[in-house]
Amino acid sequence: MARWGMVIDLDRCTACQACVVACQVENNIPPASARTAERGRAIAWIRLVPFGKGEGGEHPSLRLIPVPCMHCEHPPCTKVCPVHATQVGDDGLVGQVYARCIGCRYCTTACPYTVRQFNWDRPAFPEPMEAGLSPDVSVRPRGVVEKCSFCHHRLQNAKDAARAAGRPIREGDYLPACVESCPPGAMAFGDFDDPRSTVSRLAESHRAFKLLEELGTHPKVIYLSKGEWGGES
Amino acid sequence: MDTEPFREDEGIEAQPPEARSEPQSRPVGIFLIGFLGVCVPSLALTALGIIHFGSRSVRQPVEFNHRKHVTELGISCDTCHSSYQTQTFSGLPKAEDCAACHAEAQGSSDKERALVEKLKRGGTLEWKRLFAQPPHVFYSHRRHVVAGKIACATCHGGIADTTSPPRQVRKLAMQDCIGCHLKSKVSVACTTCHR
Repeated sequence: MARWGMVIDLDRCTACQACVVACQVENNIPPASARTAERGRAIAWIRLVPFGKGEGGEHPSLRLIPVPCMHCEHPPCTKVCPVHATQVGDDGLVGQVYARCIGCRYCTTACPYTVRQFNWDRPAFPEPMEAGLSPDVSVRPRGVVEKCSFCHHRLQNAKDAARAAGRPIREGDYLPACVESCPPGAMAFGDFDDPRSTVSRLAESHRAFKLLEELGTHPKVIYLSKGEWGGES
Repeated sequence: MDTEPFREDEGIEAQPPEARSEPQSRPVGIFLIGFLGVCVPSLALTALGIIHFGSRSVRQPVEFNHRKHVTELGISCDTCHSSYQTQTFSGLPKAEDCAACHAEAQGSSDKERALVEKLKRGGTLEWKRLFAQPPHVFYSHRRHVVAGKIACATCHGGIADTTSPPRQVRKLAMQDCIGCHLKSKVSVACTTCHR
């Protein structure tokens, strides 16, 4: 069974936010109204989080890091869900069943990466966007928690295509929208169980590090960076 | 059930199990009477077809006879439900699909003559779906019929042998899906079906 994960090369990332837009379109994420955004309730499954270092001053050292759901191997969010609305699947993806979610928001509190977001408002899509909604992804109602799914509907489609062609699923068959859209090719996606996959190779790099690794969540999103930002210090 | 107010200093954990089970004997009797009084008649009415739980009435534009078309004439399902082998949705027949055979009356019934007249006028057929998935479920006909090699009747039952359209929408239960997935060793991860 595969263990899907992502590698993000921060030395290549230009913080252009193409991944954010691609995700928004792919996953039927409604554009936030001014009021929603003002209250900090805008939903984004992948965000660019500013990380600062040092004192700041006249020339602050700031870096924007794309943060999707880490799809942890030991996710804190699934353990606190009282209704089993979020579980780790056999392919390692942390799934969210919106119909089962009761909106208690324990998981949003438990997630150390704060990538889980609550639907405070009913989703509203402006007139022409309504026709462009993806049929593979549900539109989440008000009152449930949502998060990055690693575009798991694309995995199902890739499995279908591979099965129709009579071959096992290959590297590159299944890519989330963010990875596919990345203009500098800073994101890689694949199976960590396959030692020959690109992600497995990249994860062994001396530049590799994980966010909040010390918590024991075992995130499946690995970052690459050299110098003071990364594993090489 | 428990009528005693919950006291903060004496939580559920602190009580010995005997002390908790004691006052439940009377509510159980009341519950049984309630069950017999409410549930049994409603179940009987459901069995008789008087009450439909989780369904709504459907009226089709044509009293379509599946048995006549499928069992007697041997027309395959994909003649009218054209896309179940290629897409997620199996498709419902358009007016021109019916007109392919019914441009002229095939039989002598009044209903068929009315259909032929309607088709000649260029009328459309607004079929209602009889099998519906809730919006949080992703179901692909192609995946199940082509890749999984499942017969239509596995989920659609004996629809091919009905003489008039059923009056209700059939909701397929999750346990049906799970049972089949476990039997055929397909993933039962939430993300496999829930979108």
